[in-house]
Amino acid sequence: MQSIQSSLTMPLASVKPLEPLLGYRAYCLDATRATLASGAVPRKRSPVADAALEAAGDVEGLAYARCPETGSLFLASVAPAPAWATLLRDVTRYRQAPDAVHQVIARSRSEHVYAPKLEWIEGTLRLQGVERPRVLEVVTPPSGFTAFLERSTRIAAVETVDEMTLLGAAPGGDTLADAAVLLETLDRVNDPAAVLRAVARRLVPGGLVFVTALVASGFDVTVLGLRSLYLYPPDRTNCFSLEGLERLLAAAGFALDELSTPGVLDVEIVDAHLRHDPRVPLSPFERRLVTAGRETRVAFQTFLQEHGMSSFARVVGKRTR
Amino acid sequence: MNVLVFGYGYMGKLRYEVLRRHPDVDEIRIVDPFADAKALGLEGVLLPPDAEIPWSEVDAAFVCTPNDVTASLCVEALRRCRHVFCEKPPGRDWADFSRITEAAAAVPDHTLVFGFNHRFHPAIRAAKAMLGDGGLGDVLFVKGTYGKSGGTRYRESWRNQREISGGGILLDQGIHALDLFDFFLGPLSLTNALLADSFWGCGVEDNAFVLLRSASGVPAFLHSSATLWKHTFRIEIGARDGYLLATGLLSQTGSYGREQLVIGRRQFEDEATALGNPREEIIYFDRDDSWTLEVNEFLSAIKEKRPATHGTLAEAGRVMALIRDAYARDESRGARQDG
Repeated sequence: MQSIQSSLTMPLASVKPLEPLLGYRAYCLDATRATLASGAVPRKRSPVADAALEAAGDVEGLAYARCPETGSLFLASVAPAPAWATLLRDVTRYRQAPDAVHQVIARSRSEHVYAPKLEWIEGTLRLQGVERPRVLEVVTPPSGFTAFLERSTRIAAVETVDEMTLLGAAPGGDTLADAAVLLETLDRVNDPAAVLRAVARRLVPGGLVFVTALVASGFDVTVLGLRSLYLYPPDRTNCFSLEGLERLLAAAGFALDELSTPGVLDVEIVDAHLRHDPRVPLSPFERRLVTAGRETRVAFQTFLQEHGMSSFARVVGKRTR
Repeated sequence: MNVLVFGYGYMGKLRYEVLRRHPDVDEIRIVDPFADAKALGLEGVLLPPDAEIPWSEVDAAFVCTPNDVTASLCVEALRRCRHVFCEKPPGRDWADFSRITEAAAAVPDHTLVFGFNHRFHPAIRAAKAMLGDGGLGDVLFVKGTYGKSGGTRYRESWRNQREISGGGILLDQGIHALDLFDFFLGPLSLTNALLADSFWGCGVEDNAFVLLRSASGVPAFLHSSATLWKHTFRIEIGARDGYLLATGLLSQTGSYGREQLVIGRRQFEDEATALGNPREEIIYFDRDDSWTLEVNEFLSAIKEKRPATHGTLAEAGRVMALIRDAYARDESRGARQDG
């Protein structure tokens, strides 16, 4: 297995500016509350371990639970698949609105988020010797990444499938893909284990799955916990730890080829929270770290990457069964 | 498949462990007159010192012996048994290697592979995959440093006694780096070489500086050393659209450091925040399958009745020719200075 560290740099404001995203966050929380009000299904067991979930607190009244074995965080209740699919389509539509912050930063996200992700996928395909694969993009459409995948000369064909309807698809009915791309898909679906199993069924033996996720074991989520303003449903219905993500993939029949945390924003995210609310509880060490000079912050962020402690995780799995 | 392993030193043990796990290997017998079967837990596996070698029952032989017996055993194994895996170096010198070549020529349908496992190291395989069209483009140069610290028993080791080993650090360890240069650049010729017995005084080189050129004119440079004090493995590849730096080696002791590959893409001032400081990615590897992959390839070639793809006689010949030429170049320089 391998892990990857990157010296890519980008300002937080260019990819997920804290203050401008608060409106979207409020919309997501309201939409989730409304969805759960019409039928909530409590989650008793951890999706990544044979363990009962434990209470972890709440995000503005929406309870989260923790997996005691892996430290992964999960929204304590979800809705059945049809309602959850509607919720995901709803927040996706919000992001597509012309005045939404996502549209304002669309260009910089393309440069700083999508382009490096495509480079990662293309580089991995090259390292794995996979020529001209058929790629399954698993997302609630539309996705800004689809066009990137379609433009790639290394990829033969792209099929975008709704992450929630994938569960209901008849197994083996469709053409099998050589690779699947799940950019934060597992973070937002109501049953990540089932989605991943469905993805495995759509892949050829040896097919690759590319997963990105925000992980609870990363620095900023560890420090801020449920106070993190980036942790809210439905986008972060599931916030796996790195170990949780590893277990999830293994249980769905994937062997890991890469498990990396090449995030570059952990320190800046904590700093942004501190600037947003100076009362945010940080230890003296954490406070000193996030307010230190650029060189110290960069060195610490590099350390987090190298040791699997950043909150942005990248995983490549290979279907073994 | 029944396999015979000659020599139960460091390499013999390693090969034995890989062979034990291979599904196509039925029986392994080990020949090593200096090994104690009871102490090693190898009763029934290690042949008694006076036992006849069961050539007729064997499909493949692994030659994992000191260099002074490598050629003789390899020649014998080629003659008596169809398939031979021989550790590097393929003999002490060009004369030894020529004997092996001659024996191999007489049995062209037999499989002969030499142990150059570094080609199978994950950082090297990743580096190879990154080069060429659609990647970092053609190679502009290769630089390598491969060295070790020696240690208190360095002088006692057979590896540093010319009559047994045939040469010093270049033949013992540098040969792997030369093979990697061949892997990345194809056949090379020697441009210059400077060898020194700087510290250990064993009568063989403990430092070698070797300048090479590929058939298409790409330069390569190797520093092979037994006086680095810090175990070092470093291969730097400059390419048209970026660069690669493979450092560290996954090994049992981890003394060469964490195996990693730095991938940098060429960026001029219109693309990078600072000229000469492009974005890099570092891939860290945590699993060394090189020994398994190398043995698998040898056994697969036998099973599939096809030529082996790595560690071939031609590849071994090319690195032995470079070492022969490096020793000759250094000797002729010494002779000129003496004169």
